[in-house]
Amino acid sequence: MSDPILAVSNLGVDLQREGRIKRIVDNVSFALQPGEVLGLVGEAGSGKSVLARALVRAIAPPLEIVSGKVVFEGRDILSLDPRALARVRGNRIGFIGANPMGSLDPRLPIGQQIVEKLRSVQPEIGRAEARDRVLDFFGRVRIPSPSARFHEAPFQFSGGMMQRVMIVDALVSDPSLVIADNITQPLDVTVAAQIIRLIDGLRQSLNTAFLFISSSLPVVAQLAERTLVMQRGQIVEQGLTSELAANPRQPYTRTLLSRIPPIWKDVMAPTATDGEAVLKVDNVVRTYFVRRRGSFNAYNQVQAVRGVSFTVKAGENFGIVGESGCGKSTLTRLLAWLEQPDGGRIAFLGKDLSHLSAHSLTEMRKSFQLLLQDPYGSLPAGMPLLRMIEEPLLIHGFDRAEAARRAQEAMIEVGLDAELAHRLPVGLSAGQRQRINIARALVLRPRLLILDETLSALDQVEQAELLDLFNRLQATYGFSYVFISHDLALVRRMCHRIAVMYLGRIVELADNTTLFEQPHHPYTRALLSAMPTLEHNHFPHTRYLLDGEPPSPIDLPLGCSFRSRCPRAENDCQKTDPPLLALAGGNYAACLHRHEKETADVE
Amino acid sequence: MSDIVQQGAAPRTVARRGLTPTRRMLQIAVGRMDFRIGFVGFVLLVGLSFLLPLISPIDPIKIAYSSKLLPPFPAEGWRWPYLLGTDQLGRDVLMRCLVGLRYSLLIGLTTVILMFIVGCSLGLYAGFRGGWVDAVIMRLTDAQLSIPMIILAITILGVSRPTVPAIILVLGLSGWPLYARVARSVALGERNRGYVLGERVLGASDLRIMVLFVAPVVLPPIAFVAVLDIARMMIFESILGFLGLGVQPPTPTFGNVIADARKYLLNAWWIATMPGLFMLVSLTCLNLMGSALERARNAVLRGEA
Repeated sequence: MSDPILAVSNLGVDLQREGRIKRIVDNVSFALQPGEVLGLVGEAGSGKSVLARALVRAIAPPLEIVSGKVVFEGRDILSLDPRALARVRGNRIGFIGANPMGSLDPRLPIGQQIVEKLRSVQPEIGRAEARDRVLDFFGRVRIPSPSARFHEAPFQFSGGMMQRVMIVDALVSDPSLVIADNITQPLDVTVAAQIIRLIDGLRQSLNTAFLFISSSLPVVAQLAERTLVMQRGQIVEQGLTSELAANPRQPYTRTLLSRIPPIWKDVMAPTATDGEAVLKVDNVVRTYFVRRRGSFNAYNQVQAVRGVSFTVKAGENFGIVGESGCGKSTLTRLLAWLEQPDGGRIAFLGKDLSHLSAHSLTEMRKSFQLLLQDPYGSLPAGMPLLRMIEEPLLIHGFDRAEAARRAQEAMIEVGLDAELAHRLPVGLSAGQRQRINIARALVLRPRLLILDETLSALDQVEQAELLDLFNRLQATYGFSYVFISHDLALVRRMCHRIAVMYLGRIVELADNTTLFEQPHHPYTRALLSAMPTLEHNHFPHTRYLLDGEPPSPIDLPLGCSFRSRCPRAENDCQKTDPPLLALAGGNYAACLHRHEKETADVE
Repeated sequence: MSDIVQQGAAPRTVARRGLTPTRRMLQIAVGRMDFRIGFVGFVLLVGLSFLLPLISPIDPIKIAYSSKLLPPFPAEGWRWPYLLGTDQLGRDVLMRCLVGLRYSLLIGLTTVILMFIVGCSLGLYAGFRGGWVDAVIMRLTDAQLSIPMIILAITILGVSRPTVPAIILVLGLSGWPLYARVARSVALGERNRGYVLGERVLGASDLRIMVLFVAPVVLPPIAFVAVLDIARMMIFESILGFLGLGVQPPTPTFGNVIADARKYLLNAWWIATMPGLFMLVSLTCLNLMGSALERARNAVLRGEA
């Protein structure tokens, strides 16, 4: 074994606030070999990011490094003078963060910013040479047409492309260590998988060591040979990633592992009960008109939802999954009747919502409720909790005493402390806030609850608690749920039937087991393949992972809208836009080609 | 010792949690020193201006040449009961100032209430509804803002008689667009917030959402600025009075007293200075209260109390 490139010993970082000292990083020691990828996992608040910043001495009050050594390439970073430090930071050690948009100047062209960065850390490089190097790296991270995009401003880049730019920014000075702090967190699952694959390829060709930080062990496991597990500032366990995942020694690691929801192994797919149709969505279309830039009166059509149809039955959990920009949010707004569809119809309990009078629509609203994603913005700030939960009852004309009684019942039912009744929502946790939202929806005794990423702001423990609550409520009141989510594991656990959306259209609609084990549409397979998991993935990256990004919903390609990324597109895909075709078992997929052969050899 | 303190502390926090946010805000504001100073000063001045002219035998408009141009209290030659001296016609400066303050406060307060109600309701409606409603109301404010206040005052007060309601009308007309604009801009931001969507889903009507949910968010910051605006309106009232467009003599107001006293500034400085001093003190008190209220509100919304 060669000398480690980075050796950290007894590193300690304190937080000083109002005279109290809190230890954030506690006596951390580890070493990193050249070219190695070291994972660092731990839940939010365990001190991962502070540790990452301490490694490059980017620590400012109230934080303070109190002990330890960080030896990088034979020198202690913590005792370097500022000039020597500047030669290491950003030059020998690169950094990629979770917020690429915030790290770039919005006014300057991307390429120019990176050239400037490179020349500031390596002044001996000439302008032309720096430019060539940046262009070369743009090609290596597979940014299409690098020389054109070199001159574009940050806002013209998508999240995934921006993260590639940040990777170039970190790697362009040819560092021997790159710290990657939660880089896949803001990205969609297929794009995140692309980025992981990209980094995997790059480090093999560059021989750069990576410290790969994430809150999710499956994400880390895709890249890292060794992994550190961090809890409350301490490294509680370290070892080979595969071993850590297979036999964890520490209880904390076991807890982390037990919170990862299973996808294929030991899952009980919930089975549907057959009830009457509660919600019937029929060929719904929604198009937005956006003024074209640089013109006075020309509009672009953004086709957000294009002919979506499905039915939700009583007592059923229906899932809608897809990446950002696929039209999920628009569909949510349509389902909750916050917006009216341009075409098609949405019928609730057999009544077409567009034909209802204002009065009967208000009456109808009692029976379908929407739970929003953001637990912070969705509650009025200046209202006591009990009054907030009474609100829906007061709207629908209950008297105050009755409303107060039912609101109190609802508070108990969703597990809110009765003594919170007269408090303002300030200071409540995200989970408690979502419970308030659930209580508000619950008091009206609805038939259908639409959950728009309702759980995505919560941590795993809170999520699990709320899912139990949902199950309990369903058993008591017979609710139907529509889960709108990008989280496949959640959908796998809760939903009876699932629709996969791509560019405003449902490309596959199938029951839980079929969708996860024998999916028909190539996009569904790509989604499953991109999912970070410790289990053996039935859909290996090499075969199923997609390249590129979805086309813009403003100018959709002719024919099948998925064909630009489809691994098995054929000539007829360019001409025919496939409708949802019926498959065996009441499932549907929008693909012209039957892939019996491929379906057969899913691993 | 220490458990006594804890026992005392626990029930108090519970009791404080039961209070409404507005009550808590007032509580915090009252606890602040600047609010207390402002409040005490303001109450003293208001009490004086309303009570003293009632109980004092001195008539603020009665002319007495025998006692003209008497200097104020510590200076040589002053005479009881003319504490702040007398003017060129022998009228008591203190009494004239108090009556002027009375008019000033009356006009300032009424104007601000009027502007606040008209401006905020129009602005809130425009911002919340959007579309052509918004366009029409905003073009109205543009039109109003393009007319300078003084021109408007000369036109209206010059054509009709400058009575108190007319002055309030002029000041209110020139001031409401500002309130409409601010209310609209905040309401625009609130329109698509989660809690508004949540209310819509629950089935609440637009009016209910606006009055019950958007207004409590949008209005308090504007209301606190409005307290500061009372001071501004009092200044405008004296400007009108100074130009001769305010409440007409012989009724004394800050404006017309100062305007008349200009000629005597060199040998009887107190006639013009005293009304200015009264204005300074009352405006300072108002501003102290206004800023303390705003800080208290911020503290409550940040969850510090």
